[in-house]
Parts: sequence; C-alpha cells; structure tokens
Amino acid sequence: MMLRAIWLIVRKDLTVEVRSRELAYTTLFFALSCVLVFAFSLVQEGRAADGVGPGVLWMAIMFAGNLALGRTFERERQAETLRALMLVPAPREAVYLGKLTGIVLLLALTEAVLVPIVAFLFQAEMLAHPFWLISVVATGTIGFAAVGTLFAAMLVRARSRDVLLPVLLYPITVPVIIAGVRGTVAIAQPEFDAEVVRFWLTLLVAFDVVFVTLALWTFEPVMTD
Amino acid sequence: MPVSTSFLRVVVLVLGLSGIGPSVITPVASVSAQTQPKQQEEFIPVDQLPPQEQLPAAPLLIAAYTFVLLMLFGYMFTVSRRLNAIQGEVDRLDRDLKKSGRA
Amino acid sequence: MTKWFFYATLLCAAMFAISPFVIANAPYESTMGLVQKVFYYHMPSAWMFLTASVVCGIASARFLITGDSRHDRTAWAAAEMAVLFGLLTLVTGPLWARKAWGTWWIWDARITSSLVGWMIAWAYLILRQYGGPGSEKLAAGLALFGTANVPFIYISVNYWRTIHPATTVVPKLPFSMGFPLWFCVSAFTLLLVVLMKLRVRVAEQQARLDAIYLSLDEEA
Repeated sequence: MMLRAIWLIVRKDLTVEVRSRELAYTTLFFALSCVLVFAFSLVQEGRAADGVGPGVLWMAIMFAGNLALGRTFERERQAETLRALMLVPAPREAVYLGKLTGIVLLLALTEAVLVPIVAFLFQAEMLAHPFWLISVVATGTIGFAAVGTLFAAMLVRARSRDVLLPVLLYPITVPVIIAGVRGTVAIAQPEFDAEVVRFWLTLLVAFDVVFVTLALWTFEPVMTD
Repeated sequence: MPVSTSFLRVVVLVLGLSGIGPSVITPVASVSAQTQPKQQEEFIPVDQLPPQEQLPAAPLLIAAYTFVLLMLFGYMFTVSRRLNAIQGEVDRLDRDLKKSGRA
Repeated sequence: MTKWFFYATLLCAAMFAISPFVIANAPYESTMGLVQKVFYYHMPSAWMFLTASVVCGIASARFLITGDSRHDRTAWAAAEMAVLFGLLTLVTGPLWARKAWGTWWIWDARITSSLVGWMIAWAYLILRQYGGPGSEKLAAGLALFGTANVPFIYISVNYWRTIHPATTVVPKLPFSMGFPLWFCVSAFTLLLVVLMKLRVRVAEQQARLDAIYLSLDEEA
C-alpha cells in the first residue's frame, strides 16, 4: 500500500515534469550558471586554483537543489494539490517519500550532466573512480533532499517562505556537504585512498539514515495543524 | 598571589607606548602560526609566568570578560524590560475588564 | 516573581561578582599563560550553549508530540539562550585562540560544528519571528534536526585531528584549576536557569495577553 502510494506520487510528478520539462531544464541551467559564476570568481590567470572542483560541484548542487525544492512545492501550492495529497488515504510518510523520490530523481538528472562538466572544466580527476563518486554524490544528494523536502513542505504555507528555506536548510545540511566535498576530494586525489573515501561514505550513509528517519517521524505532526 | 591584572595593564600601557609591545606581538604571532601546536592532553598548572608571555594576553583577556559580562547584563536588562511592559499591559487590561464588570 | 527566583538571582549575581577573584587566584597554565584564563568563562558558556540546545530539542519534541504550548514557550526561550551563550563562546574562543594558536579562527571539527549549531539556533529565532502564523511547529521540526547535530559537536574532536584541547582536559584538571572552573560552571548554570525563567515568563504573559485580546474580540 505504501509502495504503491509512493509510486503514484512519483508518477504524478514525473508525468507533469515530462510534459513541461520546466524543472529539469531550469534546474540544470541554473546549476551550470552557478558553475560559471564560480569559475569566473576562482580562476586566476586562466587556471582554476587546485582542488577547487569538488567544492564547486557541491556548491552548485546546493544552490540548484534549493531552487528545485522551492519550485517543486510552489507548484503544489499554486495548484493546491498539497492539500489534496494530505487527504490521500495512504500513510503521510508515503507522501513524504514520494516527494523525496521525485526531488532525488530531478537532482540526479542534473548531477549526471553537472559532474562531468565540472570535472572537465576544473581538471579534477573525479571520474577516475565512478563507483565511489556515484555513491558519494548519491548519498549526499539524498541527505540534502531528505532535509530539504521536509522543510520545503513545512514552509509551503509560511510567510517569507522563499528566503526561509535556505536559512533553515543550509545550516542543517552543512555536515552532509562537508562529508560530500571531502569525499569527492578524496576521490579526485592522484593517490587514491579507499579508506578515506569509505570513511566519508559511511558518515554520509549515517546522516541519511538519521535525517530520513527524523523526517519520517516529524512529517505528520508538522504538516497537520 | 600571582601578578594582578591592574599591574599588567600599567605594564601594557607603558610598553605599548614605547613600541616594544607591537614588536613583541608580531614575532610571537608568526612563530605560533608556523609551528602548529600539537593537541594538548591536559592543562599543566604553573606558578610563575614566563616573562615574554605577560604582555599581549591581557587586552584579549579583558576584552573577553568585558564582552561576556556586557552581553549577559544587556540581555537580562532587555528581558526584564519586556517583562515589565507586558506585565503592565496585562494588569491594565485586568483592571479595565474588572471595572467594566466583564472579567 | 517568586521568592526562590529572587534568591537565585541574588546568588547568581554574587557568584559572578566573586568570579574574577576566584579566577585570578587560579594558577597559570604552563604553555598558554595568562590568556588561558579565558577558559573559565569560555568553557561554561560552551556548556550552557550545548545545554540550551538540548533543552530546545527536547522541548520541541514534546511540543510536537503533545501539542502543549508550554513546551513551545520553553523551546523558544531555550533557543534564545543557545544564541546568547553560543555568541559568548564564539567570541571568547577566538580571543583566546589569537594568543594561544596565533590565529583568530581555524576550521576544525568542533569549532565548525559549534558555529553551525549556533546558526541553527539563530535560524530557529528567525523562523519564529518572520515565519508568520503556524511557525511554532515548523520551528519545533527545525529544532529536532538541530539537536541531532549536538552529539556530533561533542564527539567530533575525538575523531578528527584538531588543536582544540581534547575533551579529556577537564577530568584531568588539578584542584587549583578545577575549583574555579566548577565555580564558574555553577554560576553560569544558575544564570541559565534564571534567564530561562524570565524569558518563559515573558512568553506566558504574552500568551495571556493574546488570549485576553482574543476574548475581547469575540465578545465585541
């Protein structure tokens, strides 16, 4: 029942998205614009500072992710479909997990384009160990999206919701981003040390477990008046 | 009784004016920036201060304590003032309601 | 206010007045000298910051579970305490570090985590102030997530290389340094209790005021 509800919610979001492709294109373009801004800020004499690639990647993910979260729920708010979702005869957690899956898919799509471009532009050897890279980026994105989906849903009816989302989201997800960047840096090292990457990956998995569980617990009380 | 803070303040003032102060601070700061001190396991108490340590620390110490006390007093003051204002308004409303017989 | 509150405030003020003398009598530390004495205010501030964060988290959890506004008022007061004591910690720390380590700030795990925790507490206050109606529950959710970071703050220094004194420093303190520390910790704890009580009372009276105005509106 739960899985079916989740799948239905994801399918609804996918259907809407496939027809307009609005979120996918705008999120990707915004992420690339961020990379461009960072490139102009950080490149001196035609070369980027060393080791700056992973940081740029995760900054772009954070900013683009924030935008995507805000706009996903803004869409729900305008069509008043969030209320309809809350009335669905399925556990509330399914609504949360459905929205979370949608956001993660959107960000994954963006990152699939973003990661190679950043690696290319900043001469970071991130693509040398694709399995580790995918794991780190995936777990970091899930952690960020888990907190972001909850906060964005919470803020749908609040005042000043546009600016409040980053104000709330960034301090809470700083640990995830630290682990993500350090993990990506470790992957990009010429002398690859699997132990270090495994450590940061474990930390990210731990964060994901903690944050997703907490979000599942608090989604119901926070969304009901 | 170890060296008191007022004595240290006078020493700082005199030496600062004579220019020895700034020239001592910079070498000390640059040395500690170059050699990263290793992690300390415990504090070791000592009775006498080594002489070159006395001067630059006092302003930082005084600044720290002053900041703490100012902030704490300031906060306590603002909260008390807010409480009095709200309490005053509650009392006023209570009196008005009692007067018009609706309380 | 009640009698115990009056005596507690008096005792707290007295302890703070005496504390400079207690601290001046403590011996100097062998490598850090005079500036190490910031420790006697820095450490209790840090502990009060952590305590207030935990109180805010627990009160938020109870508020989400029970819906009782008392827990919400406690959580808001605790968040203000956390921002206050966190600010004290984050200012006294660099003042100490400037002399002891030669730099105002370093990005090690514990210091960074404390800064993040402080910003979460500040975000809580921003949300309460500007989030509009219904922000009590949202803030409670935020506080829960923030509390999940608190153990990370305390344990982190033992798992990363850092020049911050290890958490094992405090148990190994000799009595000459331990006494001023615990004296200041008691003073700070008492202060935290007094300030919390004051702040919660403000919120209670505000709630009473709102209720009075609401009932007046209904009757009119």
